[in-house]
Amino acid sequence: MRIPCEWLNEFVVLDIDPHDLAMRLTMRGFEVEAIEEYRPTFDGVCVGQIMAIDAHPNAGNLTVCSVNVGLETLPIVCGAKNIRIGDKVPLALVGARLAGNFLIEKRAIRGVESPGMLCSEKELGLSDDHSGIFIVPEDVAVGSKLAEMKGLNDSVLDISVPPNRGDCLSVLGIAREVGSILNQRAKLPMFKLDTTGSEDVEDRISLAITDTDACPRYVLRMIKGISIGPAPFWMRNRIQKCGMRPINAIVDVTNYVMLELGQPLHAFDYHALADKRIEVRVAEGDTAFRTLDGEDRKLVAGDIMICDGSGPVAIAGIMGGENSEITASTKDIALESAFFNPLSIRETARRLGIRSEASLRFEKGVDRDSVDFAAERAIFLMNSTAGGTVLKGKREIHEKGSGRSIFVSFAKIIDILGVPIEHSGIISALRSVDLHILREEENGFVVSVPGFRHDLEEYMDIIEEVARIYGYDHVPATTPAGAQQVQKRNRKEVYLKGMKEYLTSCGFFELVNFAFFNIKDIESFRILPSDPRSSCVPIMNPIGKDYEVMRTFVAANVLKSIAYNLNRGAKNLKFFEMGKIFFLDGSSLPVEYPSVCFAMTGREREYFWRDPSPEYDFFDIKGVVEGLADRFGLQISVSRSTEEFLNRNRAADILAGETKIGWMGEIRGEVLRSYGIEQTVYCAELRSDLIVQHGSVDAKYRPIPRFPQVTRDFAFYMDENTPVGAIIDRIRGVSPLITGVGVFDMFKKETKSIALRVVFQSFEETLTDETVNALQEIIIREATSIQGVMLRT
Amino acid sequence: MGETLNIDDLRNRIENEISPLKTLEDLKKIKATILGRKGVFSEYLDALKLLDKDQKKVFGKEINRLKASTEARLNEMETALIEAERAKQEELTWIDITMPGKVPVLGRKHPITQTFEEIIRVFSSLGFAVAEGPDIELDYYNFEALNIPKHHPARDMQDTFYIKPGVVLRTHTSPVQIRVMEAQLPPVKIISPGSVYRCDHDVSHTPMFHQVEGLMVDKHVRFSDLKGILSVFIQEIFGANTRLRFRPSYFPFTEPSAEVDIGCVICEGAGCRVCKDTGWLEILGSGMVHPQVLRNVGYDPEEVSGFAFGMGVERIAMLRFGIDDIRQFYYNDIRFLSQF
Ligand SMILES: [Zn+2]
Repeated sequence: MRIPCEWLNEFVVLDIDPHDLAMRLTMRGFEVEAIEEYRPTFDGVCVGQIMAIDAHPNAGNLTVCSVNVGLETLPIVCGAKNIRIGDKVPLALVGARLAGNFLIEKRAIRGVESPGMLCSEKELGLSDDHSGIFIVPEDVAVGSKLAEMKGLNDSVLDISVPPNRGDCLSVLGIAREVGSILNQRAKLPMFKLDTTGSEDVEDRISLAITDTDACPRYVLRMIKGISIGPAPFWMRNRIQKCGMRPINAIVDVTNYVMLELGQPLHAFDYHALADKRIEVRVAEGDTAFRTLDGEDRKLVAGDIMICDGSGPVAIAGIMGGENSEITASTKDIALESAFFNPLSIRETARRLGIRSEASLRFEKGVDRDSVDFAAERAIFLMNSTAGGTVLKGKREIHEKGSGRSIFVSFAKIIDILGVPIEHSGIISALRSVDLHILREEENGFVVSVPGFRHDLEEYMDIIEEVARIYGYDHVPATTPAGAQQVQKRNRKEVYLKGMKEYLTSCGFFELVNFAFFNIKDIESFRILPSDPRSSCVPIMNPIGKDYEVMRTFVAANVLKSIAYNLNRGAKNLKFFEMGKIFFLDGSSLPVEYPSVCFAMTGREREYFWRDPSPEYDFFDIKGVVEGLADRFGLQISVSRSTEEFLNRNRAADILAGETKIGWMGEIRGEVLRSYGIEQTVYCAELRSDLIVQHGSVDAKYRPIPRFPQVTRDFAFYMDENTPVGAIIDRIRGVSPLITGVGVFDMFKKETKSIALRVVFQSFEETLTDETVNALQEIIIREATSIQGVMLRT
Repeated sequence: MGETLNIDDLRNRIENEISPLKTLEDLKKIKATILGRKGVFSEYLDALKLLDKDQKKVFGKEINRLKASTEARLNEMETALIEAERAKQEELTWIDITMPGKVPVLGRKHPITQTFEEIIRVFSSLGFAVAEGPDIELDYYNFEALNIPKHHPARDMQDTFYIKPGVVLRTHTSPVQIRVMEAQLPPVKIISPGSVYRCDHDVSHTPMFHQVEGLMVDKHVRFSDLKGILSVFIQEIFGANTRLRFRPSYFPFTEPSAEVDIGCVICEGAGCRVCKDTGWLEILGSGMVHPQVLRNVGYDPEEVSGFAFGMGVERIAMLRFGIDDIRQFYYNDIRFLSQF
């Protein structure tokens, strides 16, 4: 809400700098987002009065005006037709500068010297109006500088009004807050409605309301015989500063009063109303209706309509109809001021997609108690700007609302806020924002809520008001009482944090991607329809193809990040991402699992001046998985993977017991190419919840052996297709004294050959040669009993 | 018998042997020639045996003195030569210390993770436990239970992704508060970190971002306690000299509600683009838990009270690291990730 200080000043005396005011409003909950300074863009223009208008001797379409500027009267050549003797006008004297840095020079126009120029609003930079000379308001002194005129120098506060404070979408509402800040009481505008005419509203129009829940308060007032022109400058100026566009005097008045008092109004062309009748109805079924913007709208059951004798003339609180719109030829006006059910207006406005200034205020609830005051105010302003005769009286519906009152205990205020405020301080704070105490009781008080405060419903709302006015700054910072609890360690959190630490220490950079993907990712990864990973959770209102479903695995997003970086010149990347994956489920909510994915491409170092790094291969990614398992106490095994997106020869499923907890391997070239990646990528993805479930992070001490360990090396020939893992497992099974089996060489000449180192360790004694020799025999026997394995000697 | 031994001759011979000596190898050879069993001194000592007693005594003394001094001299030379040899060997180990070292290849945690961990660290030390909830949430938990009924204007504040009617991608981590309170009795002291979603994607919004929310409910929890806890948090994150202010605001699920601002970390209050010339930066929203929210989970607002707060992790990360574009977090450019 944009609030011109010059306007605000009519309600409260603003003896405060706008920046200080802005700061204090902000600390009251009305954040001032900007202060816009309005200054005239012209210079050297004074106010003159037309004393005479004479014909130009040489040009029929020009006149020579005698303009009194106080000390002297000057002859000014002018072409405009809208000036009359007695009008006050802006006179730009020689040397003056107008909008657009236009300099006034002495010159003769068709043989008559003119020491200055009368200006239009456009020339002064006040508006786009260039239809005639700007007529200065009568109360401005002749000879004064126009630049000093009220309204031209102003600070406009751009205030972010909290959504529950609809009452502050008006100058009056903000003035009430400012009044409370400055210890003043906001004054309502003073005016005297001229109702000396003989006609009465009751004789001219009838009013009926079928549903007082939809519309408990409605007032119709009338004015006849107006002539519609532009609104006076001061009114247009204020409307413009508030961010609205002036239209004509009648529309501008309704907008002006809405900005001033917060009450939206609607003016009907009286002659367009069939049967001279207004009925507020709730639509029962679909109704077609053309609004004044020329759009055809469909109203449905529940929408509130304003109807005349033949049908709808307005969608209540939202927009009028084309059929009863004010036009340039409108003479007589029926003016509506009302309170409509906020929820109903909100629903209709949302459905129709119309969020007007009026509906915005009706949605939040207007002040039922000032509906008629706003109507009177508007009729008065119409009368003074467009002439005509005000009809006596009004038509109205007035369903009495039950005024709200709330009990609050003093102790609760102090208990909630933690500040020992005096009772009298509480009462006076509340009074300053028009919350009056109906009665004080022993331990509290009952406060009455004014009609404009729809946000105050229970005691906590009142406590908030006390805190707001007392000032949050004055609330001390305290330490909560009560025993300090020690919070239990969250096992999952320890794991996830540990995994991130492990992976970063392995050289992986962490990614954070949106948890969405494109349905095409499922196809790119060749996920079969029978695979649960193809049952993505769809989003009803996605913001784009790439974000249309929730991801069922993380690897697609990791590949996208790899592609992004390769496209920007990177060659060697190690990335990991930990995040949720989502699956459709029969229950009301989909299931969510945490997943960890890591990938590597290129080599460890692009170059180094010695020992160049080899390109990553399967055993690099497998090593990371094995290290992870070791770090989290997880017993894993591998089996050939059937994942369609992996190169089958270089891919493995990762098992914990019988459970598949993930996969690892080389991503197939076709898959990579669909992400625009031309180089090999090794990748693994595991369900982190399963790692937590099957693993353990609790370290347990094992005594350091007091006896030396013994190592023996073995070499075997073996068939190409015999897995080395089988030999290792067999050897491990030979004796508990075997504490390690490692592969230290593998080569192939004619036959594949493998070299193993076995570690023997006893915790009871020093191992003798005899013992180890005996074990060695068993190892050789066991290993060579595997098909295709032979001892190499 | 007039046999004598020519000591000068001996001295000359020794001198002639020693003076061309250059290497440790030479020295070893000469040591043998002079002092060895068939060396020069042995020759003279053998000759000495042929002399008469007096002469034996005189010459014997002379020879032994010369032998001792020669021996000392050769030992001295040996030490010097070993030293020289060692110096020469050391010379061969010279390297160019200005050549680049082999930097260990480590990864980094994403700045969002680093910020999460920092926030969690501070609140853990204040006794808050970490609680989590689903990203895909029931409308009830995301809105209704938090005092945001259907048609409430506050729903406009958050553009919601819908999965199906009644199921949304959570727009904040506040639903976790409700789930925790439903599952346990007071006292409650939790923070809930996590991803949240809103359908907005432009220069200053991403469809997914991160929040940490906090909740404390117990007997006699006061608004002043909220100020106390958040002051400690902010000064821990942004430094002990950080100015902060609490100003009234509106959230449907808290009352009184407060927006917390910190003195602009960019311009230190002088006014700049980031703080829109106000000198202050919004950092988190907070307030006393609305009595209706307490009733919704079956707590009695007459018995207990509480406070809640919520903050955007990206916002805090941007201020801590000086990042000016929220989208940077999600491009995952290695040149960005490697800076933190
Ligand atoms: Zn700043």
